[in-house]
Amino acid sequence: MSTPKQITVTIDGKTCTGTAGQTILEIASAHGIVIPTLCYLKGLSSWGGCRICIVEIKGSPKVVPSCATPAMDGAEIITNSDRLIQLRKCTLELLFSERNHLCPMCPYNKGDCGLQHQGLAHGITGIRYQYLYPAMPIDLTAKYFGLDQNRCILCTRCVRTCDEIEGVHTLDVANRGIRNQIVVDLNATFGASDTCTSCGACVANCPTGALFDKAAAFRGPLASCQTVLTTCTECPVGCGLKVFTKENRIVNVFGDPDSPVNKGHLCVKGRYETWADARERITQPLVRGADGQLHPATWPAAIQRIKDTLAQSPDWETGLLVSPRLTNEAVQTVRKLADKFDRVAAFVAPYEAALCGQPEYAAPDSLQRLDEADAIIVLGARPSEDHGVVAARIRRAVRQRGAKLLIFHARKSGLDRYANICANVVSLERSFWKQVAETLADAQRPVLVYGPQAMSPIGVTVLERLLKSFEDKKEGTGPAVIPLPRSANSLGFGAAGLELLEEIGPWLDTKPMSFLCIVASDEPDGGARLLEERYVRPLLSEVDCLVVQAAYRSALTDMAQVVLPAVTWAEKFGTITNFEGRVLPVRPVLAPVGEMRDDQTILESVFA
Amino acid sequence: MNKTAKKPAKKPAAKPVAQPAAATAATPAKIKVATMWLSGCSGCHMSFLDIDERILELVKHVDILFSPIVDIKVADMPQVDVGIVEGCVNNTDQEHELKLLRERCKVLIALGDCAVTGNIPSLRNQFKLDDVLSRAYEQTESTKIPIIPHDPVVPPLRPKAQPLQEVVKVDLHIPGCPPDADTIWFALTELLAGRVPQLNEKNMRYD
Repeated sequence: MSTPKQITVTIDGKTCTGTAGQTILEIASAHGIVIPTLCYLKGLSSWGGCRICIVEIKGSPKVVPSCATPAMDGAEIITNSDRLIQLRKCTLELLFSERNHLCPMCPYNKGDCGLQHQGLAHGITGIRYQYLYPAMPIDLTAKYFGLDQNRCILCTRCVRTCDEIEGVHTLDVANRGIRNQIVVDLNATFGASDTCTSCGACVANCPTGALFDKAAAFRGPLASCQTVLTTCTECPVGCGLKVFTKENRIVNVFGDPDSPVNKGHLCVKGRYETWADARERITQPLVRGADGQLHPATWPAAIQRIKDTLAQSPDWETGLLVSPRLTNEAVQTVRKLADKFDRVAAFVAPYEAALCGQPEYAAPDSLQRLDEADAIIVLGARPSEDHGVVAARIRRAVRQRGAKLLIFHARKSGLDRYANICANVVSLERSFWKQVAETLADAQRPVLVYGPQAMSPIGVTVLERLLKSFEDKKEGTGPAVIPLPRSANSLGFGAAGLELLEEIGPWLDTKPMSFLCIVASDEPDGGARLLEERYVRPLLSEVDCLVVQAAYRSALTDMAQVVLPAVTWAEKFGTITNFEGRVLPVRPVLAPVGEMRDDQTILESVFA
Repeated sequence: MNKTAKKPAKKPAAKPVAQPAAATAATPAKIKVATMWLSGCSGCHMSFLDIDERILELVKHVDILFSPIVDIKVADMPQVDVGIVEGCVNNTDQEHELKLLRERCKVLIALGDCAVTGNIPSLRNQFKLDDVLSRAYEQTESTKIPIIPHDPVVPPLRPKAQPLQEVVKVDLHIPGCPPDADTIWFALTELLAGRVPQLNEKNMRYD
């Protein structure tokens, strides 16, 4: 590959160098020259639709959009002539007149709007055109965000984000001329869309209030908020979060653009489920009284109650069961306290223990490999449901680069529609394997992503068969193998050597448990998913003293003798290990309001 | 409110004082000002009064001759130098009033978002006028006797609520809901100094 040709252009009298193919805007911003933009967004393809970034090139009578015009060697470019300013003002005035841009009642955080900013920067007080006051629809059917066509400027940032970042292309532009508008699927609503993943990336990239987060609406400008960079603990991908807070409340959560993992993109879990759902917090210790009801208690009283119970019956069978969402630091505390209990374990997803028990397979460049892959095999994992950011990478590989996608899973998933081959792992025939081999015939950089279900008996058979089919190939290399667990910090748990339980029923049943402490931490369901497993509810009700440490109230905390309030991800401090083996920081975003304590402090104060 | 409201009414009695350098050249007399309240919430007038004690400085240079806080009939509207209008043009009476002010003032200022963009009163523009009236007077949950007002004394609504510049020529727009008192003060002092106020991101807002 030859090095790209260096070019020199003059921008506003300043000599600027760049490489051939770079746009005027890219060279200008690299040299600190500010050209106003609206539809341009770094990381997306150029659209050239808003015409705010127009510049003049000496010798040409036309003005050109700098975001979409490659700079030519020796060109003399002017970014700020009176003519350009007048044209930009006209464009802005037309934008203001076209829809109902009424700032006082915009749900968007005032002061963050790109159109408002450009209007103010250009000194637009009133406009010379008639306002059209069109009757535009508002789509509020999505759970976490809304689309208000009244405020849309048709910059198509959302369309490009949906297509190029999330890779689903739910959004597009319909109709012509003045009737031009953003549509969901084929003029459906977000609620009825079967392609929208609710990742909210379109909202994060909308320059106006056309797409807005319901939970963030009317909560003040992001510019007035404090920001904290932390790590999402909803799944093992470990995406970087940029959390905006004001007065100890979360205003919004965006992806951290500098995170090596997600590069600013998030899925619905990180973007919304972390904070936009209403859940009942437990704010102080609860102790079951003589009347059979849970009553608020002080920390010393609750701790004393547990210690007394344990002291009365020293020969009790005791157990500690922890959630895989704990930080590495809390895991160390659990290890330290392990000898105080007869049995200690962490509960993970079915078949996940085998996956997490192999932390040595984690490769720090796993996502990078997905970005480069020309064939992706997904076995026993459902990234579109469990790891939205990984699914987005897979979709982009398939849709933008034509990578082959093969999915083996017993259950349907959102990725199936993008797959070349999509098979149920329980019925695979000989002719099918021939088809698989043909599909993978030309693959130079294959990647095999396998999840917990790949560790099931049939999954292992398919895995071995797949690996063998690569060995059979004369040319090409074997696949890069990426294990993809489901539980947040499962790799950190695997590395710590704790027992990982896929089913807790048998664990409880081997020897009747008299005392059990369940550390549900900030499981969104308060640990209630444990009760979904067969026989667990009756087995737990036989436990003489059940202590639950949780952030949210649930059916599980309702069963407990003592409930201890735990902090959530937003109040935790520590590290987690993601599926690539990276150790990522979890930083406190909020100060706990109430008597919540972090998991290791509670464990130490009660059992140490 | 009461304290500040009294002041302009008192002022015409006070004898004219020498104009400082800020006043328009060659006009020793005070600048005559009219303020008008059309379809708006009066918030812009409130924000105007929010210039606080600076109003004492202002009344040294201006006489407010016509205003919601001056007891005077529309028909008696005097000739003024500056007309400041809050709110948009919603009914035929307001249209008449605005056109009259335009005839009788030299500089017309649209104050606030309703006067500049139509703002909240213009939300009805998305619907047919009949539907708007029916919703307001016949269909609301609290309606006991559904009657759309039809007395000739009640001025009929125009088909659309419009910002000022769609009805008359406007010389200066001051957006904001309401504009900050500082923005209003800046605009007025600039005018008094004989300059066209230059509003930009530092001294105005839209919300």
